[in-house]
Amino acid sequence: MTLPLLADGPAPAPSRSPMAFSGQGREFMNLLIAGSLFQIPTFGFYRFWLITRLRRHLWAHTEIAGEAFEYTGTARELLIGFLIALAILGPLYIAYAILGILLEETYAFASVPLVVIMYVLAHFGSYRARKYRASRTVFRGIRFWMTGSGWPYAARAILWDVATVLTLGLALPWALASLERYRMRNTYFGSIRGDFAGTGWGLFKRVWWIWLVGFAGLLGLALLVVVLTFLSPGRRALEAMAVLLTLLGMALFPLALAIVTRWRVEGLRFGDVTTASRLRARTCYGLFVKLVFSALGFLLAFVITVGLVGFLAARVVKDVVTASGALSWLSVGVGLVVAVGYLVALLGLGILQRYFLGRGLWVAVVASTTITNLESIDTAVAAGQPAGVLGEGLADALDFNVGL
Amino acid sequence: MAGAVFYDGESARRRPVSLNVTRSAIDIHEGAEWIASWPSAEVRRRDAPDCVLRLTREGASSLARLDVADADLQAAIRASCTQLEGPDRRERAGRILVWSLAATASILLCVVLLLPILAERLTPLIPVSFERRLGAAVDNQVRTIFTGRVCEDPRGHAALGTLVARLQAAHPGGPTVDVAVLDTRVPNAIALPGGRIYLFRGLLDKAETPDELAGVLAHEMGHAAHRDGLRKMIQAGGTSYLLGLLFGDVSGGGAIVFVGRYLVDSAYSRDTEAAADDFAGRTMGSLGRPAHAMVLLLKRIEGKDDGEGGNDSRIPAFLSTHPVTDQRLKALEKQVPSRSGEPLLDQQEWRALKEICKTT
Repeated sequence: MTLPLLADGPAPAPSRSPMAFSGQGREFMNLLIAGSLFQIPTFGFYRFWLITRLRRHLWAHTEIAGEAFEYTGTARELLIGFLIALAILGPLYIAYAILGILLEETYAFASVPLVVIMYVLAHFGSYRARKYRASRTVFRGIRFWMTGSGWPYAARAILWDVATVLTLGLALPWALASLERYRMRNTYFGSIRGDFAGTGWGLFKRVWWIWLVGFAGLLGLALLVVVLTFLSPGRRALEAMAVLLTLLGMALFPLALAIVTRWRVEGLRFGDVTTASRLRARTCYGLFVKLVFSALGFLLAFVITVGLVGFLAARVVKDVVTASGALSWLSVGVGLVVAVGYLVALLGLGILQRYFLGRGLWVAVVASTTITNLESIDTAVAAGQPAGVLGEGLADALDFNVGL
Repeated sequence: MAGAVFYDGESARRRPVSLNVTRSAIDIHEGAEWIASWPSAEVRRRDAPDCVLRLTREGASSLARLDVADADLQAAIRASCTQLEGPDRRERAGRILVWSLAATASILLCVVLLLPILAERLTPLIPVSFERRLGAAVDNQVRTIFTGRVCEDPRGHAALGTLVARLQAAHPGGPTVDVAVLDTRVPNAIALPGGRIYLFRGLLDKAETPDELAGVLAHEMGHAAHRDGLRKMIQAGGTSYLLGLLFGDVSGGGAIVFVGRYLVDSAYSRDTEAAADDFAGRTMGSLGRPAHAMVLLLKRIEGKDDGEGGNDSRIPAFLSTHPVTDQRLKALEKQVPSRSGEPLLDQQEWRALKEICKTT
């Protein structure tokens, strides 16, 4: 693909620096596989080291005009963040559980107020986690860093969530724009303040028809279900609707992801530095197709392996057990094998997801981005301090995704 | 240009520099001007793309970086700076493994050794009223798992009441129980903490005489009398909470679900089962009814499972709640009632009980 050379008005045309990703897919995959396998004997503790290694790989191979980023966070910090989150959440949950039982709640542990607390903490934590990652990102010997607190961000995010729900998703572009603006205006590269130039209206103009298609699809399917249930009562219609909805979502999501990501990248500003993105929907569809088919292939291979092993083991074991009556040991063994098999399946799917969506999307975004006026950051002076680790800990403990 | 770029960590300016690598230090010059000298022992490597060697100085206050792209210079630096990777990089993976194994071992020790003791000691201390509240929480879980409708045909309900009352009368001062039938095909029965006992319709369908069913009921009442459900709940809850901690689930949100499943699926220890059997045997004996009828029912269920390939039942034959039926049959056959009592339910009541799930 050739870029049309634009004559950009007045004399000194702004410089354009392409971004590039220089990492090898195989190297990333090796990190993922080794790290995931290491999580089994370490009961998952290795996840902090794995995440750190993945981030270091991605950051170090992301270049602007041949100069690479650097990730300075450490696994130990993530571990500490997790322990802090544990110290905060542990007593909270226990107190809540006891309270629930004392009040004879019908749903005891998993009740509404707790979900609300977790929901607020999730927004709070996601902001703090971004703060952590920004302040561990170094470019040209200068640190990125963020101001602002997690609480006002959480308040905004919650209000926007409410608005989004009330408008059936129509407010989402403005929500994304507002939150991104808040995040970027609090982000600094040394002494240069960031900004976000994308607007809700700008995004809305690009995605409104996706919303319409999705909504029409939902309505149409609902209507279909109503008709079908009248014709032949049963749960079949509902199941069919769930399947069709999933397919519709899978068809539209990569497109929406591509548009939103491109809009996001193009809105980024640091002083006079601007960005342009050529991210295409085709790329996102490619990633999703690869993910879906590799996951299906993996599951198929997994099921066949399990079936074969189970069949052979059952034949061998049957005689032994009926002879000796070692039933309880056998059940322990079977339980263990099932647990390990389950873990392997889970880790395998996690690897594929991180490879195709995590790395794949990262590479696609980097490779399609061009930076303009890069020389203007020469004036940046070091500022800011590394941020705390609580956010990452909350993210880990509450299990919401803040990226790799 | 000497193929090196220096970032001083104070500003984002790119400073092309020339390097002079000696045994003791790297001297950095920008043009003719000397900028810095980094002692070889303090130079560390940082992450960079494959063709670039990125260096920093250990202990420096700023984020000063030196990017070396020239291959000869890289080789010279690697030769003179022996601690590029830091002093202890090698051991790290091993240490993580050792400490996680230690943490795992300690938690597993807690689960295997301490939790049973804790459960044993704690159970008698917990007031019955509190146990009931715990039971209510688990009850919700069980009903969710089996998407359970409780069968409430009035005549069947009355018959069940009669049966339970007779069994309870055999143990004055025993636990108060609350028996209900869940409409699910799984042939099983469970006793939750707090005296709630569920018979599953699958069991009811397979029972051929009131004695068989009464035996199972008495067995579950034995569990209730010994507060086995509470003990197991403390153990299972503690176990899943501790294991959840390892995997990063501090919420314990998984714990309650796990407890529900565990109570339904897993086996009690053989001693616990034997104690409940003994309770059932004494109950049936004092009513003058055969105690071993219940084992016949269990055997019938196990036989059926093998035949049908387990599709009907959620419990695989391996993990079946009740161990080695033959041994139990022998133990129960020893408890022959001294006198023969009248049937626990008459024909009409029995039929009503069997059909408790039929209407509405």
